[in-house]
Amino acid sequence: MRTDEKVIQRVTGIQAADIEAALDPVEADGVYRDSRQCAGLALLSGGGKLLLSPPTPRPKKG
Amino acid sequence: MEQSGTSTRLQAAVQDLASGVVSALRGGDHAHVVPPAGTDGEAGDLALAAVRVLGADALLPGLLSHTPPDPAELAVFRKAVEAYPPRPDAAPTVRWSHWAMARTLRRADPSSAEPPAEPDTAWLDGATWQVLTHQLAVLAPLALPGEDCAVHRLAQHRPVDVARGFVRAVRRRDWRQAAGAGRWLTLLPGVPDTVGLESGLDFVELMGGQDPLVALQVQAARRMRMGARG
Amino acid sequence: MTALAEDLRTVADGALAWVDAHRAGFALGEDALAVDGEVDLSWKPLGELAQVCATVTRLTEPADPLHARARGLLDFAWQETHEGELFLRLQRLEPFATYPLEVYAALASAGLRHPAFEQAAAVVARTRGWRLTEQDPTRRLGVLRAEERCGVHSLGQAPPGLEQTWLGGLPEPWTFGRDAGYALTHVVFHCSDWGCDAAAVPPVLVAYLTDWLPPWLDTCLEAGMWDLGGELLAVAAVVARTTGEDPPADAWQRLVAARGPAGEVPLDDRDLGDLAAGPGDADGERYFLHHYHSTLMAAFAAVLAGARPDSPPARAAAGHRYGGQGAPA
Repeated sequence: MRTDEKVIQRVTGIQAADIEAALDPVEADGVYRDSRQCAGLALLSGGGKLLLSPPTPRPKKG
Repeated sequence: MEQSGTSTRLQAAVQDLASGVVSALRGGDHAHVVPPAGTDGEAGDLALAAVRVLGADALLPGLLSHTPPDPAELAVFRKAVEAYPPRPDAAPTVRWSHWAMARTLRRADPSSAEPPAEPDTAWLDGATWQVLTHQLAVLAPLALPGEDCAVHRLAQHRPVDVARGFVRAVRRRDWRQAAGAGRWLTLLPGVPDTVGLESGLDFVELMGGQDPLVALQVQAARRMRMGARG
Repeated sequence: MTALAEDLRTVADGALAWVDAHRAGFALGEDALAVDGEVDLSWKPLGELAQVCATVTRLTEPADPLHARARGLLDFAWQETHEGELFLRLQRLEPFATYPLEVYAALASAGLRHPAFEQAAAVVARTRGWRLTEQDPTRRLGVLRAEERCGVHSLGQAPPGLEQTWLGGLPEPWTFGRDAGYALTHVVFHCSDWGCDAAAVPPVLVAYLTDWLPPWLDTCLEAGMWDLGGELLAVAAVVARTTGEDPPADAWQRLVAARGPAGEVPLDDRDLGDLAAGPGDADGERYFLHHYHSTLMAAFAAVLAGARPDSPPARAAAGHRYGGQGAPA
């Protein structure tokens, strides 16, 4: 090792190992989340209002 | 995995440096990418180590725009090459990264020392397409137009495998690997058209471009594609 | 026997044995014709059982114990439908539903037929309304295939509507996700008549799939998506019947390792602890539902991968193009 290298390492605390680790990284873990599908949006005829929730239950006849 | 304080600071310095390279690649202004020499103390040393980690890409803007490097910049680059030679037991990517820097230095300044002999590619002989792509992505600074080295020749024989690795990296949301693989794909003949590289690079930038190391590879890939067409 | 051939045999034997031991789970049950019966829990599993066993009997020798087991399961399924009689009754109840024809077609492809139902189905299938039934393009292909099997009409070389499917449009392979995956596997299953006519998959799809199946398979297995992984292995086996490529040995090893104690394969890695025959699952129904489909798919893929190619492998088609690329064997 040359003198200037020694100086650099002494001053910074950066070890060759830190640099070599950065240059030889292990592969990151895979992250998985699949796209979902929202149920089709129903357009109320007339009102033109987006219906995102199920219709309010109505009392059954009889 | 917990990182040491030094390693965290080093990563931050690499990101800063990469941001500068990205701006230079985007705007054509490549001033002050590499910090001026003579910055004393820890900050300067950290910056020097960051140049070593970013490797040959620290001079990429000038290289792609065929602009001679600023002498001060070149001096720092040279200092990084000389200060951090690979240790005898260093991993192949470390040795290749250093070789690429020495080679870039020699190209930028023919009065520099001859680059050392090329390391070998034995570690990639028979590598699966997954390992191959990961290693090539780490060695993305070697993906340059007109480059002729053993890693380049090896990659040229496996375009479909690198394309598969790109798909895998996007699926795993490993944007750095995807960006590095995408940069290689711009150079390799025989990549299936169905990979959709152009929209793929846009997608990787959209998803991972906040990371300057991702943005750098995407930007480099775009510049090289433009160069190839122009 | 090579290690790979051993893996294929282990998966096929174990999976079909588990299915056989759990055939009660496939029984139609009392509410098979009920207005509020859950067809996804009755007709769907029975149809899937029939389809997989139909392919197994086609691709195995009569002397093979797998063949006998699959034949026995087909007979069981046929008995469950009262030798096809229930299809006719179901059609009277829901004349425009496509699922009775789709399930029936699986049995018909194994030679179990009910002529009166076929005639009745043909009457409905001649209407414009039936042909215009709005369905996912992939499902539509399945219905067309079912109609062909039941003699309603014959499919041409390229099935209509193929280009409307995800796979048929040759999308960027990195846009793959779970839903796209299930869509593409079924396009291949329908095109290839569930693996029995691999040559019917258009060459452009064979080339596309040869390129991109490896990363899809790798990431599904890494994510523990064993069910979709099994389907992709089946697709790889269908494609390999044309290209002559070897099955992906590493992927098969991972599937072998994912199996449960009796050869069953879980849908995915979620909630396995909760399902282990806990107090809320005294009759094992939840466990069955979490395993039956992936186990069927594993058997299907393993038999396809282990079967001899249809014709002398046209290795040249893939081999020249890829120059030995891919994970070394």
